[in-house]
Amino acid sequence: MIDVEKEAARIAEQGESAPRLARDPVNLPMINNWLEAIGDQHPGYTEVAPPAMVQVWTMAGLHGQRTLDDPLGAMMKILDEAGFTSVVATNSDQTYHRYLKVGEHVSVTTSLEDVTGPKKTALGEGWFVTTRSTWYVGDEPVAEMRFRVLKFRPAEKPAPRPEVPKAQAIRPAINRDTEYFWEGCRNEELRIQRCGGCGLLRHPPGPMCPECGATKPKYLVSDGRGVVYSYVVHHHPQVPGKQTPFVIALVELDEGVRMLGELEGEPSIGLPVEVVFTKVDEELTMPSWRPRADR
Amino acid sequence: MRIGDSLPEWHVEATPTFVISTALATRDFQDVHHDRDLAIQRGSKDIFINILTTTGLVQRYVTDWAGPEALVRQVNIRLGAPCYAYDTLKFFGQVIEREEQDLTIEVVGRTDHGDHVTGTVKIEVPA
Amino acid sequence: MNAAIAGIGATDFSKDSGRSELQLAAEAARAALDDAGLEPSDVDGLVSFTMDTNAEIAVARELGIPELTFFSRVHYGGGAACATVQQAAMAVETGMAKVVVCYRAFNERSGHRFGQVQTAAAANIDNSWSYPMGLGTPAAMVAMFARRYMHEYGATSEDFGRIAVVDRKHAATNPHAWFHNRPITLDDHQASRWISEPLRLLDCCQETDGGVALVVTSAERARDLPNKPAHVKAATQGSGADQFTMTSYYRDDLTRLPEMGVVARGLWERSGIGPSDVDVAVLYDHFTPFVLVQLEELGFCGRGEAKDFVASGALELDGSLPLNPHGGQLGEAYLHGMNGIAEAVRQVRGTAVNQVANVEHVLVTAGTGVPTSGLVLGQSP
Ligand SMILES: [Zn+2]
Repeated sequence: MIDVEKEAARIAEQGESAPRLARDPVNLPMINNWLEAIGDQHPGYTEVAPPAMVQVWTMAGLHGQRTLDDPLGAMMKILDEAGFTSVVATNSDQTYHRYLKVGEHVSVTTSLEDVTGPKKTALGEGWFVTTRSTWYVGDEPVAEMRFRVLKFRPAEKPAPRPEVPKAQAIRPAINRDTEYFWEGCRNEELRIQRCGGCGLLRHPPGPMCPECGATKPKYLVSDGRGVVYSYVVHHHPQVPGKQTPFVIALVELDEGVRMLGELEGEPSIGLPVEVVFTKVDEELTMPSWRPRADR
Repeated sequence: MRIGDSLPEWHVEATPTFVISTALATRDFQDVHHDRDLAIQRGSKDIFINILTTTGLVQRYVTDWAGPEALVRQVNIRLGAPCYAYDTLKFFGQVIEREEQDLTIEVVGRTDHGDHVTGTVKIEVPA
Repeated sequence: MNAAIAGIGATDFSKDSGRSELQLAAEAARAALDDAGLEPSDVDGLVSFTMDTNAEIAVARELGIPELTFFSRVHYGGGAACATVQQAAMAVETGMAKVVVCYRAFNERSGHRFGQVQTAAAANIDNSWSYPMGLGTPAAMVAMFARRYMHEYGATSEDFGRIAVVDRKHAATNPHAWFHNRPITLDDHQASRWISEPLRLLDCCQETDGGVALVVTSAERARDLPNKPAHVKAATQGSGADQFTMTSYYRDDLTRLPEMGVVARGLWERSGIGPSDVDVAVLYDHFTPFVLVQLEELGFCGRGEAKDFVASGALELDGSLPLNPHGGQLGEAYLHGMNGIAEAVRQVRGTAVNQVANVEHVLVTAGTGVPTSGLVLGQSP
């Protein structure tokens, strides 16, 4: 068993790798190739380079090899051995202290900043590896980059939709009056409050029947079938535990009450839907909607 | 340029030529950025844009709007869904902070598969 | 009613005030008292929103108000705006206080932003039927109504956009507005990004740092003060059947705002005027679709006809019902409706930047989608 954290600490302790010099000094032909490819018509890059090019100068090239003291390479190797064989970049944060002038020759050093995991992600279980690179002209730091990758063990079968990180999802407040509903969801039952006095069906529920005044609410188990009464497609801002854009539908159940829930698929008013239950954890199962197959 | 100002929406057609020429111009020779067969073999739908190009496009989106006098100080990006060949990459942006001459612009680059890139760019504009 | 608004005051409207919410409240209140020609020592009542973070006693300390005999708060977010004046007017009429300051101040842009998902709000049982399902922002909650309204009446995103266009047009000529000199076209509206379909960015009001305060006193006393009084002809609150905060989705009809219907009935009954007597309408506009529904609830047009009423140009400054001459919360600033009351006072005084001619009566409404309130201000009691 490889102790990833211990290995990470060992690599981090080594600090910055030795400076690696760019193949070429900052030069106009490469700048112009870059401008042409990106399609950037900015007129200012005749004596200085576009700041976003900083990493380009020190790319390893067609036959590039990682240097032995490169901390990212070392960390990748350890995680490969630990079974986390796939990699995807997640963040690149670049800060430019100044623009690079044509003729300047940059070098780069990299250190390992952080390794956290194992975390469950949409792609599979993995480790987030963060490095910090600094570009120098002589002794002067001219730019920096925090770069993060996820090194992961690919999930058996890629889920059609990334799993909602549980810690993130907004959890409902639950009290005496609403407990029956969430207990029902845990048992994959969609429960509708039913007055023990007059039989009134009511959602959202409450302790006293507005029709007859009885305080003995019961419930019935809904068929979980209904039609979309209204819906929104939510884009902004981000909602904890959700991936935008997503659809929330107000569904009118066959029993006559309305209920909100996320809807998988293309929404429209009148769309026949049925309930599905998604287990978040032992305490919480969320109801949501999907289009009915028999529609 | 005030907080809340939106940048004009900008569309980039990620043709295979675009994906490959930008990969090479950024000296990124990983096969998934220029060899479709190998990209598919590795489980991708097609070749896709490399990170250095995404960074460059984000910078260009902001400087096209802010003008050549603006100085780019920071490009912070989070990467999401890959931008494959034949995708249209749509950029949206908005000024979210301003302190004197320092502006922060929030940028989103999106394809039909979802957000390819979200991030912020810090620039300094002339007084 | 035997009460009038004798003073109005505001801070600058910004995206980052650089000062505490208490300072904003104190600055706005002091400005309103200066405008009214009164001193803090004249004040014996304070009213605000329950959402306001500034305690009455804290505001009193900053202003040097020696004693208070009346202090009160109103619930339900922006629905409280006109009700603060109602509370003040009732206090003045019943003799519980002589001079009441109503205030609202916040750093809603640089501090706590209402437009973000308020995870903490999910602790409320009512919200447990919406937030965990992903419906956690005011825009999304309004979008649910808007979709159904479009479905039933054939309204379009462009019909909503016309409200934004007219607000921004008015803001463009108001130097105090955030969007001064920045009008938009319907095309701009249609090109703006989705926030929560069917709502676009330009259907949503701004987020603002700032404060607004109003001074309410008796009609007699107001007559002796420097500015022309804006008489409170009617001030009412309203909540409807099966009412929720922003998510009253369980009523038969989702195309209405019954709570605003309650307010409307009260306003027309108590003021003795009707929709055709209104010279300027300051309607709460945090999201454009609810402006259309308000026009219907208040009786300016029939159900489902607001889109045609708006398209006719009625809401222009020279139209039959000039809307939000200051630019509203889409154009001037989002001060939870209190800046709209200040604009109504200016229209009655005849001192607004976009002054409508011969204003006798101004209608003001408060937050929509929540239990709400309204005002009719006029030249005479
Ligand atoms: Zn009953």
